Amino acid sequence: MPMSDTLLEVKNLRTKYRTEDGVIYPVDDVSFRVKKGQTLGIVGESGCGKSQTALSIMQLIQKPGVIESGEVIFKGENLLKKSDAQMRQILGNQMAMIFQEPMTSLNPVFTIGDQIEESIRLHKKGLSNAEIKTRAIDMLKLVGIPAPEKRYEEYPHQLSGGMRQRVMIAMAMSCNPQLIIADEPTTALDVTIQAQILDLMRKVQKEFDAGMILITHDLGVVAEMCQEVVVMYAGKVIEYGSVEDIFYRPRHPYTIGLLKSIPHFETGERLQKLQTIPGLVPNLYKLPEGCRFRDRCTYATDICAKQEPGLENLRGIHRVACHNHDKTRGPNEIEGMAR
Amino acid sequence: MSESLLRAENIVKEFPVYGGLFSKQVASVKAVSGISFDIKKGETLGLVGESGCGKSTLGRSLIRLIEPTSGKIFFKDKDITNIHGDDLRDLRKQMQIIFQDPYASLNPRMTIGSILEEPLIIHHLYKTQAERMERVGELIDLVGLRREHLSRYPHEFSGGQRQRVGIARALAVNPELIICDEPVSALDVSIQAQVINLLMELQQKLGLTYIFIAHDLKVVEHVSNKVAVMYLGKIVEMADADELYKNPLHPYTKALLSAIPVPDPKPRAERIILKGDVPSPMNPPSGCHFNPRCPWATEECRVQVPVLEEKVPKHFVSCIKV
Repeated sequence: MPMSDTLLEVKNLRTKYRTEDGVIYPVDDVSFRVKKGQTLGIVGESGCGKSQTALSIMQLIQKPGVIESGEVIFKGENLLKKSDAQMRQILGNQMAMIFQEPMTSLNPVFTIGDQIEESIRLHKKGLSNAEIKTRAIDMLKLVGIPAPEKRYEEYPHQLSGGMRQRVMIAMAMSCNPQLIIADEPTTALDVTIQAQILDLMRKVQKEFDAGMILITHDLGVVAEMCQEVVVMYAGKVIEYGSVEDIFYRPRHPYTIGLLKSIPHFETGERLQKLQTIPGLVPNLYKLPEGCRFRDRCTYATDICAKQEPGLENLRGIHRVACHNHDKTRGPNEIEGMAR
Repeated sequence: MSESLLRAENIVKEFPVYGGLFSKQVASVKAVSGISFDIKKGETLGLVGESGCGKSTLGRSLIRLIEPTSGKIFFKDKDITNIHGDDLRDLRKQMQIIFQDPYASLNPRMTIGSILEEPLIIHHLYKTQAERMERVGELIDLVGLRREHLSRYPHEFSGGQRQRVGIARALAVNPELIICDEPVSALDVSIQAQVINLLMELQQKLGLTYIFIAHDLKVVEHVSNKVAVMYLGKIVEMADADELYKNPLHPYTKALLSAIPVPDPKPRAERIILKGDVPSPMNPPSGCHFNPRCPWATEECRVQVPVLEEKVPKHFVSCIKV
């Protein structure tokens, strides 16, 4: 595949936190890439490091966290070598973020218009005030906010959750970013509003031909939005592949477990026991030796306790970190289950 | 076996809105406006709807945690709408609730043991502490935690474990009916499945009846025998779970079902995307509450208030177009 297709490449990224309780790596040797105009999903449960990965890419990691090693190559340049001032030029301009909480990520004392204009004013120098205002109103129109001229004057508390998330998207898109990082953008919203927002994100992405990283715990959202998927567990990438690989040919027992633990529609499995993954996500301070998932894994063998599995290449871009990936339960079962 | 355990007749709950110079009542919010249903012993009734549709208010009104403005509630054919004092306390032994947020619903200063013992003391269920502690031990086994956990505090547990404690607390007094108010929505998927399995196992083992409130239609489908869909304080559709999910008739139910992201990357049929937001219950639209967002709405819908009618045997819908 031609190089120019790749917008962002993350290589062996490791983020370290040194605290009183010890040293942990919420992001541990994470690699993936995002192509232009495509969406990469990062899935996993709370505490698996998916948000930390996003923050590391943008270098927004707070103390005591530090990025220990790795590379983040955005349009051919390593972002980890950039100064804070250079990063500020990139963030909000070429790279934008949509956060989970539309309630708390807008400033309550500024109008919607002010907040959208702020990033335009900062990154698009040389525009007159009137031009900036026109652009802000255009953005509100683009994200489907009715009566944008009126909403422009309003404050965040006057808008509903779905509307605020639309404003967040308008802000993120106001400088035509090439990469959008969306961290659980619809988790706080109701289903019917979630459907609206996902639809909008797809539309906006297409319009700007932007790459997107979508962080979510909802496998349904991943299946609908993404072309490639990273599954994370306790800071590590445990499986990586196309959306078809992950949903039809999952090889890691954790991915398989996640897929099986969602209640499914239209299968006549109602009132039956759900398959579960026993136990809990391990504490990063007390990781088990060998494979991090082995305590909860039904396929665990002796080697799993001794040696941590690395990512192995399977077909195409599909990679999995499991010693027993050739024994994990067949894909047909999963395929039969999904609809 | 299949006698009616709880029956609600035309439950209404209004909250007053105060305003103006002397804080006079200026308006009221109809959180629940005229809901009737009944639930049989051993069954699960699922209540679904989006934020603000009144599902939690309804759940709490049913067990008299908040007083309904009007309507009647019958528990085992006895009118419990206006009972109080000892009678109400007796009733609490038979009806319990599990809350959504396992972080806020357990007292951080009490050990798990004393959290579980408290209902036993309040209801004078056992004479000695030894007897009570034995019951507490049974409860902790029942929900799959270990006895050594009893001396620990809530902050030492994960969300899923805390929710197990909440379930054990509800079970302590041997209730017949449990209101589960979004019991799994704060949990991760793999933990969610564990808690759902536990609730279903307990239902079989102890013959419990559940009212299961949730916004996640997949979870509700999985656990319920009968499902009621709520919109702005009213039930818009109610039927057996199989029937409702296979053959949804109300446009809102159809839209809700089509809005759920399916964990399958195959392209699927065009989804119905509703326009706009849920209107404010303070000032609901005229006629059918759903008409401003409804793809089928006509002039008639803005005038005529639909009623919940049996359109197909045992399938109730509130829409004049069906």
